[in-house]
Amino acid sequence: MPRRRFPEWLVLLLPAFIVIAAVVLIPLIFSLYSSFTPYKLTRPSTLWRWVGTYNYEKILTDAKFWAAFGRTVLFLTIALNLELILGLGIALMVNKVTWGQRTLRTILMFPMMFSPILVGFQFKFIFNDNIGLVNNVLQSLGSNTALPWLVDGKLAMFSILFAEIWMSTSVFAILILAGLFAMPRDPLEAAKVDGCTAWQTFRHITLPFLMPFIFIAMTIRSLDVARAYDIVQIMTGGGPARRTELLWTLMSRTGYVDARMGLANAMGYVSIILSILFTIYFFRKLSAARAELGMAG
Amino acid sequence: MDRNLTHRNRRRVLKAVHFVALFLTMAIICIPGLWIVLNSFRPTVEIMAKPPVWTPSFTLDHYRAMFGGAGEGGVPVFSYFRNSMIVSVTSTVIAILIGMSGGYAFARYRFKGKGAYFVGLMLFRAVPGVALSLPLFIVFARVGIIDTHFGLILAYVAMNVPFTVWLTDGFFRQIPKELHEAAEIDGCTRWQAFWKVEFPVARSGVASAAIFAFLTSWNEFALASQLTRSVGSKTMPVGLLDFTAEFTINWGGMCALAVLMIIPALILTFLVQKHLIAGLTFGGVKG
Amino acid sequence: MTEVTLSNVVKNYGAHRAVHGIDLDIQHGEFVVLVGPSGCGKSTTLRMIAGLEAISGGDVSIGGRIVNDLPPRERNISMVFQNYALYPHMTVRENLGFSLAIKKKAPEEIIAAVDEAAAILGLDELMDRKPAELSGGQRQRVAMGRAIVRHPDVFLFDEPLSNLDAKLRTQMRVEIKKLHQKVGNTIIYVTHDQVEAMTLADRIVLMQDGHIVQVGTPLELFDKPVNTFVATFIGSPPMNLIDGIVRGDNAVELHAPSSGGLHGGLTIPLPSTARGRVSDGQAIKFGFRADNLMPMGHAVEEGGERTELDLPVTLTEPLGTETLLFTEVAGTEVQAKMYNPRPVRPGETLKFQLMLDKCHIFDAATSNAIRG
Repeated sequence: MPRRRFPEWLVLLLPAFIVIAAVVLIPLIFSLYSSFTPYKLTRPSTLWRWVGTYNYEKILTDAKFWAAFGRTVLFLTIALNLELILGLGIALMVNKVTWGQRTLRTILMFPMMFSPILVGFQFKFIFNDNIGLVNNVLQSLGSNTALPWLVDGKLAMFSILFAEIWMSTSVFAILILAGLFAMPRDPLEAAKVDGCTAWQTFRHITLPFLMPFIFIAMTIRSLDVARAYDIVQIMTGGGPARRTELLWTLMSRTGYVDARMGLANAMGYVSIILSILFTIYFFRKLSAARAELGMAG
Repeated sequence: MDRNLTHRNRRRVLKAVHFVALFLTMAIICIPGLWIVLNSFRPTVEIMAKPPVWTPSFTLDHYRAMFGGAGEGGVPVFSYFRNSMIVSVTSTVIAILIGMSGGYAFARYRFKGKGAYFVGLMLFRAVPGVALSLPLFIVFARVGIIDTHFGLILAYVAMNVPFTVWLTDGFFRQIPKELHEAAEIDGCTRWQAFWKVEFPVARSGVASAAIFAFLTSWNEFALASQLTRSVGSKTMPVGLLDFTAEFTINWGGMCALAVLMIIPALILTFLVQKHLIAGLTFGGVKG
Repeated sequence: MTEVTLSNVVKNYGAHRAVHGIDLDIQHGEFVVLVGPSGCGKSTTLRMIAGLEAISGGDVSIGGRIVNDLPPRERNISMVFQNYALYPHMTVRENLGFSLAIKKKAPEEIIAAVDEAAAILGLDELMDRKPAELSGGQRQRVAMGRAIVRHPDVFLFDEPLSNLDAKLRTQMRVEIKKLHQKVGNTIIYVTHDQVEAMTLADRIVLMQDGHIVQVGTPLELFDKPVNTFVATFIGSPPMNLIDGIVRGDNAVELHAPSSGGLHGGLTIPLPSTARGRVSDGQAIKFGFRADNLMPMGHAVEEGGERTELDLPVTLTEPLGTETLLFTEVAGTEVQAKMYNPRPVRPGETLKFQLMLDKCHIFDAATSNAIRG
């Protein structure tokens, strides 16, 4: 047999590896390096000064960083859980509909095609305290005060969460709906005949079957949790008074506004690790759920 | 009989609740988008009116201003649209070719550490755009491709490849490998078997992967906002910022540009929605 | 002339050896069936002949030409797959003509060949449909049509009927046999179904665990199984096997598998064909087919060695022309056959006769047949 130098699969994967290495890996290595320097864009020579873990020590002892970090984790936890629950609810509702299901599903995909930045502007407009739709409606209904949606810390957080959930719930709804469509009828009917209540059927038959689909949605979502950056950047820019500051807005301000690249890259690494942990966690859940249903192969 | 009646009543109540909940959900999903479309046709005075005006009047002013060129608060929409198109289409074509070859490798070949390679590839997609934009900005500035179509295309290809690999892997795996074998026995080389049999069968799937990649590029902001500077390379999401000044925002104009952004996305998504869902779930569920 | 020869063909999957050095000569125009339980290596062997699997050792030659490293397209073979593998985006006509179009044959030549194949298989009405619009049997026919269009040297069939329902399977079996008589090519056919093997094959190759166990005509395998595996695999119902111990030089004591022969079994005469080939006290397996254990009083031919047994009937399965009787010999469940059916109550004891000259003796330790 003629010996090939590379196995075919490697040749096929090579372009993908090369382009990712060039555009993602190399900059990441560079940023890893620069996170150990006091690099400032305005003073290029600072790139060659090694300060060890100074940047990391600095951010790890910085209360503002920890506040943003904690807020990010909290934000993601609330957003992902609500998206899942709402998505599940919507999917179940649409699945029950007997008429116009296709139209409903199409409407569900609507938010998916919106640019995150557009979502940000859209809700900045809608939650605008002066001319926004929400306050206009409230005032027309008789409320006298204009609620400061994007100015008050708590309300701003709520508004951002609302925008984020509006944008991303459909991923869950669509994929869970696909799961419901693919679900075999026999076990459901068997459970009914065996005397299960609607809740028991859902809990013990439907939900386990949906788990892989839920984890696919989670995995896809976790791949770009950082999309929330666009929304927050537009809606509040991390304000008011850093009340909605997330890891990503803090990083971009440190890097681009303060031009402290080394420090920003150190934060970047923390955020990358956070994203990767999310992704790996859901990937593992996904393969576990798959194995349980015997769908691996 | 009594129990039958209570069950029937309960079903009626549930039905009503179901209908109301569904209606509210759909309203919440639709209204923000419709609000944008509506306001793109309203004069600025009316948008800003206090108390609010509920009976909208109709004007094309914002569109006229938008397409009217760079003068008088106008935004160079044509340039942005063209940049977005060039960047999105080119990066999509390249990402699909690269992704198809990678997805095919995952779907058809057995090799050691396949799962690890796959997850590894996905992890690169997980790198937040903001976090990547900092070093990418510096590297691109060094290489001299900042503020060019080429730089942005390159970035988007890398960003889209993992996901197109995921999707095409799923689509190719749905095709029984016997099709390829039958083609080989019928006299095809591997290359012919792919292009004459497997690719045509997976075509709609590949198309939906392409559209997914297109939308990602079309909508991307975090990277584009740093890697583009001038009218010659700014894309529409970045262009949206042109409507914001220090303290004011030209809402009407922004809504008009938003509509222009959504329309292509809308059309494309509707074209492929079915395949898109199939690809995502198959690739994921069947491991 | 297109013989297919395998010599010492080996297939390894990593450390696992799936096919252990197979030798096989297939004559021109022969219909050979590879049969065996799943995982026996029959499909792997076929795929190595097709060139879809690389061989790990040995030689495969087609028409006297060694093809070990040739890709499938250079072997001039055609193959029918278990799931048909029709190209879903092409019509039936395009499916049939694909292999010729790939070879850049002239359009009129392709049309002629396609029409000829369509006529042989009765596909004329379906030419413009897509595979999705066809029934299982029609798809099967298109798959066969695709195979015959290009007049290959060898046809390979990989479990082609296993996705069809029982009735259609019987019908397609006949069509495949007719097709073979019409075109006369060499056919190598893989199946796990012994009925298909028996009905179709000129020669059966029975495989187990990557080895060839026995090669021969269907009747050779049926009448002279080399071991208990062949005996139970070929024939329906499978051959009855009862543990036994040779007593003296002309008797066998049959006993239940668990008893170990310690307490009294059923003693019957040792068939004369085995006399002198076994020794006193040797553990054996005593085998006979259901057709050779029948209730007395049937119009059965006279002569030959027989012995009579009183056996309780536990269950009956009427099949029309014959009835299967489930009974017990020395604590082992066996099946007997009754032609000219009459009602039999479960629990009823009947007098049976066992045709000793049709019985098989296998060595208990090696499972191999002991035969003259």
